[in-house]
Amino acid sequence: MKGRSDADLVIQARSGDGEAFGELVRRYQRAAYAVALSVTGKHADAEDASQESFLVALQRLDDCRNPAKFAGWLLAIVRNRSRNLIRRESLRGGEQIPISARTTDPDPARMADISALRGRLREALSELTELQREIVLLHDLEGWKHDEISERLGIPSGTIRSHLHFARKALRANLAEWRGHA
Amino acid sequence: MRDAAEANMREDDRMTSLEALDPGHERPGYWDDYRSRIMDRVAFELARRRAAARESVAAVLSGWSRSLIPAAVAAAAIAAVLVGTEARRSSEPPPQLVMQDMLGESADDGAFEILLSADRTGNAGAFMALVEGSRP
Repeated sequence: MKGRSDADLVIQARSGDGEAFGELVRRYQRAAYAVALSVTGKHADAEDASQESFLVALQRLDDCRNPAKFAGWLLAIVRNRSRNLIRRESLRGGEQIPISARTTDPDPARMADISALRGRLREALSELTELQREIVLLHDLEGWKHDEISERLGIPSGTIRSHLHFARKALRANLAEWRGHA
Repeated sequence: MRDAAEANMREDDRMTSLEALDPGHERPGYWDDYRSRIMDRVAFELARRRAAARESVAAVLSGWSRSLIPAAVAAAAIAAVLVGTEARRSSEPPPQLVMQDMLGESADDGAFEILLSADRTGNAGAFMALVEGSRP
């Protein structure tokens, strides 16, 4: 399954092939989560929206006109579901990412540092535009290349580079300020 | 001046480590659990699609059968008629081979007159002489 193209997997999944759909989930789960996080800004919402998006994608798989461009089609669904979710739900406060119960790191001080960094990263990201957040998360968190982002989001590569440049610059400035205060 | 600007660009382009935002960073197995939860949620839809795919195959076969079965029945009926006709023909006795057919190519009319005359024994020699004489 791992060597199969997205188009092949989509066609097989249309016939109810669970392995094919599972491989599509494996390929794009992180990107879907990153896009959902760029919209919602919260782990729990990003998790809900991205998981629900896979279900919606399967239900609408026959509408995916170009199976080779499944990734871009899926991420559009994720974006829409995430926007709908934040419209529906009221803001939930507090730390969103559960850590203590299942973490493998027993050092509470380190966990507190990571938690603080995570919170600050979310704040810094929130000051970017939605598109900048999406691009910087797909590139710097998920490891997608400029061309991959360009093809899958349908945005020129030069625009991707430009957004990435300004997003990184803003993040660095924001975090430097935070570290200066800390 | 240009070098300084490029150096600033490179500095700005240094990526901030965002891995703290990856839920799998602190929880090994997170992404496997994530995928399992999705697969649980889509199980019904996958089953529905498998059933629909089976039904569509059955529908295609059924469509074919609607046109193919009558055609096959008609072909079988025609074949049965042809086989029956041929069988009746083969059961009729073969036509008798008459002396005239056997000798028609090599004997002339005079030989038959001699053969068919009253004194068959006496004329046999003359008949054979005529037959032999007419061959090249």
